[in-house]
Parts: sequence; C-alpha cells; structure tokens
Amino acid sequence: MNQPVSLISTELPLSLSTCSTRVAIALENVAFAYADSPSTLENISLNICEGERVGLIGHNGCGKTTLFMLICGLLTPSAGQISLFGQPVRPNQFCPEVGFLFQDPEDQLFSPSVWDDVAFGPQNLGLPELEVAERVKAALNLTGTTALAQRPPHHLSGGEKQMVAIAGLLSMMPRVMLYDEPTASLDLRTRRRLIQFLQRTEETLVLASHDLEFLLEVCDRIILVDDGRVIADADPVTVMGDAILMEQHGLEKPHSLIPHISPHHGRFGSEIIRDRIPE
Amino acid sequence: MHIPDGILPTQVCIAGYGIAGGITWGTLRQIRKTPDPQAQVPKASLLAAAFFVGSSISIPIPPASVHLVLNGLLGTLLGWYAWPAVLIGLLLQAILLGHGGLTTLGVNAVMMGGSALIAAQIFQLRYRFPALLHRKWFLGTLGFLAGAIGFGLAALIFFGLIIFTIPANLDRVTEQGTLAALMIAHIPLLFLEGGFTALVVLFLYRIKPELLES
Amino acid sequence: MAIAFHANIYIRGTSPIHRWAVRAKVLSLLVLIFAIALVQHLVLIPWVLAAVLLLYSCSQLPLAYLLRRLPYPGLFIIAMVGLLPWVSGETILWQWQGLSLRLEGLQSAFLVMGRFLAIVTTSFILLGTTPFLDLIQALRSWGLPPLLADMTLLTYRYLYDIASQLGTMQQAMQLRGFGLHQKRLRRQWVRRQWEWLVSLFGSLLLRSYEQSQRVYHAMRLRGYGQLTPPIHPQRSTLSPLAQQSEHLITQVATSLTLTMATGLVIAEWILTYP
Repeated sequence: MNQPVSLISTELPLSLSTCSTRVAIALENVAFAYADSPSTLENISLNICEGERVGLIGHNGCGKTTLFMLICGLLTPSAGQISLFGQPVRPNQFCPEVGFLFQDPEDQLFSPSVWDDVAFGPQNLGLPELEVAERVKAALNLTGTTALAQRPPHHLSGGEKQMVAIAGLLSMMPRVMLYDEPTASLDLRTRRRLIQFLQRTEETLVLASHDLEFLLEVCDRIILVDDGRVIADADPVTVMGDAILMEQHGLEKPHSLIPHISPHHGRFGSEIIRDRIPE
Repeated sequence: MHIPDGILPTQVCIAGYGIAGGITWGTLRQIRKTPDPQAQVPKASLLAAAFFVGSSISIPIPPASVHLVLNGLLGTLLGWYAWPAVLIGLLLQAILLGHGGLTTLGVNAVMMGGSALIAAQIFQLRYRFPALLHRKWFLGTLGFLAGAIGFGLAALIFFGLIIFTIPANLDRVTEQGTLAALMIAHIPLLFLEGGFTALVVLFLYRIKPELLES
Repeated sequence: MAIAFHANIYIRGTSPIHRWAVRAKVLSLLVLIFAIALVQHLVLIPWVLAAVLLLYSCSQLPLAYLLRRLPYPGLFIIAMVGLLPWVSGETILWQWQGLSLRLEGLQSAFLVMGRFLAIVTTSFILLGTTPFLDLIQALRSWGLPPLLADMTLLTYRYLYDIASQLGTMQQAMQLRGFGLHQKRLRRQWVRRQWEWLVSLFGSLLLRSYEQSQRVYHAMRLRGYGQLTPPIHPQRSTLSPLAQQSEHLITQVATSLTLTMATGLVIAEWILTYP
C-alpha cells in the first residue's frame, strides 16, 4: 500500500486512544473477509471511549458497514476480538446496549404502526406494559415524532422514517449508537434537525457518512478507513483538512475547510482551487 | 383464482376450514423442526408480499394477456412456509382489498396452498439427484413441473368444487363432462404457468442461487 | 396494482357498529355469515338481505362505499352462475332460437347471488368498521400462532413498499420502450416481453429477499426471537360512562346479531323439514 504523503504522522499502528471515561468499544486486531471476496477488514485495532462522537469515513466498499455489523455481533470476525464495555461481543447475541441505524430506514420499520415499532425493542426486553409505554413516549418525544404514533410507517416521509427508526432504537436505551449514512435521504431541514438532535444526545456515537460537513458539526474524532485498514485517527479538522490524505483515499476535503481567500465557486471553481491552495 | 362467497354450501366451507386447520398444524410442526424458524419469517413474509403484488403483472398472450397464479413458484421458493404465505395472502385479499372470501378462506387455502406444498415437494426432488443438482436443464424441468402441477391441481380443485356443489341440478355425467372440458381448456395455461416458473427459477439460479435453497 | 387503487377499507366512525367491541363483533358477524351460507331456500333471501341492510344502515357507512366495492367480486359470481338459468331445470319460462330460460336455473342463480350479496355486505360491515390491526389482535387473542401473526403483520407492512417498487420498475421499463407493439416482429416481441417480464418478476423477488435479510437483522438487533412478547390487551382510553355505553352496545348488538343468525338457521330447518 502506498504510504500517504500527508500532514498526519505515519507512525503506525496508531495509538489506541486512552480514555478518561470507560472504553465503550474496543477492537483488537480485528479482521474479516466475506466468502466471495478478499479481506474486507485487516488488523483493525482501536478504542472508542464512552461519550465520544466518532465519525467513520471512507469510500464505498471500504468496510464501514461491515465494521458496524461486527460490533453488533451480526458478523463474526475471522480474527481478533471486539468488546463492548469490557464484555466480549458474542455472535448473534442480543445486545440492547448497542443501537444500529441502518442505511435505509425502510429496513428498520417493520411494524404496522409507529407506536408498535418503537415498542418492539422494549417488548422483546420483557418489560411490563406500563414501562414499555413510558419508554415509547419518551423516545417519540426525544425525536419529535409523538404526532406520528398511530401512523403506518409507509405513510411517512423519508425524514420522518429516519427519526422514527431512531426512536425505535432509543426506546431500548442503548449506550452506544451506530449510524450508517444517516443523512443519505434527508432534505436540508430534516438534516439540520438531525444534527441538532445528535449534538444534544448523550450516547456514545459512531457515525459512518459521506456527508463530511455533517461529521464536522457532530463529531470530535474522525477515523479514516481504506483497504480494510485504519489510515488516520485524529480530530476532524486534522484528518479531513488534509487534502492530500483525503484524495489519496478516494475522498475530498470538505468545502468549509477550504480557505475562502479568493472566489472559487461556479463553473471554474475546481481549476481555481487547484491553482490557489498552498502545498 | 379463488372461490367467492355464496357458491359453496356451508358444510363444504366448514370442511375447508377443518382441513386448512389440520394442514396449518402440520406445516407449523414441520417449520418448528427447522433450526431457526423465526429466521425465515421475514423472508417468507416479504416474498409472500412480492407474490401478492407480482400477481398483478399481466403476461402477454396475443391477442390477450393473463395474470398468472404462480402458486407452484411460491411453493418452490418457500417450501413449508408456502402454506402460511397463501393463508395470509388470502386473508389480506379479503381484508385489505375487499375481494370477499371469508367463508371460503379454508377451501381456497387448501386449493392454492395445498397445491403449492405439493409443488414444493416436487422441487425438493432435486436433492435426491445430487449429481444433477447444478444442471440448469434439471432445475428448469423441475421448475416447470412444479409450476404446471401446482396450477393444475389448484384448477382441478377449483372447477371440481364449483361444478359438483353448484345448485344446478345437472346429472353426474354432464358434471364430469363439463369438468373435463374446463380442464382441457386450461391446458395451455398449465404450460404457461410451468414455463414461467421454470424461467424465473433459472433467472434466480443465475443471480442468487441461495434463494432456491430451503 | 389493486392496492394502489383501493382506498383503505376501514372508515373511521362513531356508529354503534364502530363502537361494538371487536372480539364480540368479529364472532357475531362470522356466525351470521355462516348462517347466511346455510340458506338453501330462495324465499329467505329477501329477509336476509333486509336484515343485512338494516345492519349496514346502523354502521353509518356510505352506500357508495358498498357500491364501489361490490363489482369486483360480483363479476366472479356472475361468471360462475351466469349460465345456470340457461342450462339447469325443466320449467321453461322463455325461449328464443336454441336458448331456453329455465325457472329452476334462474332460482338457483338468484339464490347464489343473494347469498353472495348478503355475505359480502356483512364482510364490509365488519371490515369497514374495524381497523386491520384490531382484527389481527383479536385473532391473536384467540390463539393465532405467533409465527402466523408475525408473518401477517410483516406482509401487511411491506405490501405497499413492494407495490411501490414494482410500480417504479414498470415505469422505468416503459420509459425504455417496454410494451411498444411491433407488429412486424410479433414472435420476437412476445419472446422479448416474456424475458423482460421474467426479469421484472425475478428482480422483484430478489429485492424483496435482500430486503428481508436486512429486516431480519434489524429485528434480531432489537431482540426478535429472544422471548415471545406477551399480547398486550388494548387499554381503553374511554371515560367510565363511555365504557359503560360501549358495553351496552356490545351486548345489544351481539344478542341481536346472534338472534338473527339463529332465526335464519331455524327458518331454514323448518323449510327443509316441514
């Protein structure tokens, strides 16, 4: 693999961040390969601390969703170990501490009404009826979807489906939330509401997204993945502000991090940027 | 293809419910024997919905077009789950679309679901010939047979019930003759159902063979 | 697709039939439906229809609602009994060329159509006044196996999405020329149409299957299969007075309907064995 020429220190393996709070997710030398393809993830080692907001970036197919599925126990690593709050993740074990928001909320809203869907998780926890109702109300309230309680999911807009899907996970009171491309099908207003919601929420967050501006607003740490490995792991501006690093791994520097020294918008914008940005 | 309300005597309707109840008990027992029955529930449900929706596709047979029944294909893909899928499809047809059939739900389920289960068993025969398991002609042939026999059995039950229970005061010979004539008239449809089933099976085998595994 | 063209069957309302408790209503109306199916004497049909129409008027469902929905199942019945007046019976009422209209056949046809009309109208009284989920809840409380209940709800949930997917796929095909009739190349055209339709249907199945795998993962992650959740009975949100009135309505409606059904069975018995 080509060594990146960048502003990031290339002293790999990257330091496993030491947490001032508990370690929420720990990956040690994790590897995984699908049956019909070469290794998807290789030697991934990292810690995510409780309360951190981590953004996961990388081009399509780099392994972000696979990583999430490993953390949830839907897939089993071919090597290494994954732990959640010190406990090893066992395959197919029900783990309500982790909530996983899928890319397509349609896949996650499988009950005939919003209320039933949000109640699904607490009911499976065996909670009494009253507590289930309390949790559902609280989750709907947090996500601003109380008015949608009796609606069937297929009658909702894209943004409403997204927020209801989030409510369905919050009703299980997870300690870690994994978001897979949460802004993919949202209009600007709903995206802004999601950003405000995530900025207020208290769970440990890991967000995989191509929406780099969104990650800049929400996250305090960015992990760049490519070829199944962690390439960079630092604060958002340091990682995403490194244009060469980003371009070498199939991404680009977010527009808001490009210094607005001279006008570079419009038809000839990209040419002007290349001429003006210092090496 | 379902028998509407009002035609069949109550005794036949109740007998239909009785037989359907028995088949439900039997298939649920088979399903519970599998290692993880709940794992198949989403697959069976969404494929049932896809069949329900897909039955609206009209196939051109110049100068007209037809809607295929495809209960044989349902059996090949869902195996034992074909029975609950048919039951639910009929229930939703009655409740959501208002197509009637609440009294004849049992009879219709036996007609469509029972023949789907038989089609499933025909398609399962491929496991008895491991050497031929991945031969396209073999899969296509079994698919054709499953589709044709599934439809044929359903049509036989459908016409048989109508003709033998309708208050027509016809003599037995005329009834049998009419039934035979109707079945002969449906032979082309038999081939269509079998052919379409075979083509879909081969399409799925090419792209996602695991869908064909039970 | 029929789903896209049918408005919801259930219509909100506050009629006595709407307020009739769900389980009692389902049971009573099903008993009535089976009692109607027992009728073999044409003379009872006008009484049956009158009773059912009275029940329909109590439900306060618009007549247009019924008239809009009868034609589709009605066509099937007409197709099945349409020939009866011309082939069945001895007493000829009218003749023209080779065609003979026969009394017994006509009576049989009216009997079947009368039963059909009464049963389907009663079905619409039930479906028009009861939400789908309440119906499934009632069935579950009567012992519908959890696997069947789960499948019913999931199939219902994804029916509209899959119908929408099919609609979009068909539009995309049309935009690329599917369905353009080419008379010169008729055989090829039919073959090609078949190939495309096989691909369309196969793709629909594939997409549904792949979605079902993701749905299953989502369900597992939220505990599906861990334990069988108890069926939470629906809590009434009505005031005690309203609950009392609902209880009274339930008792009256159930008694009247079961009396109607019993009366029908007795009348049928008397006519059969005078």
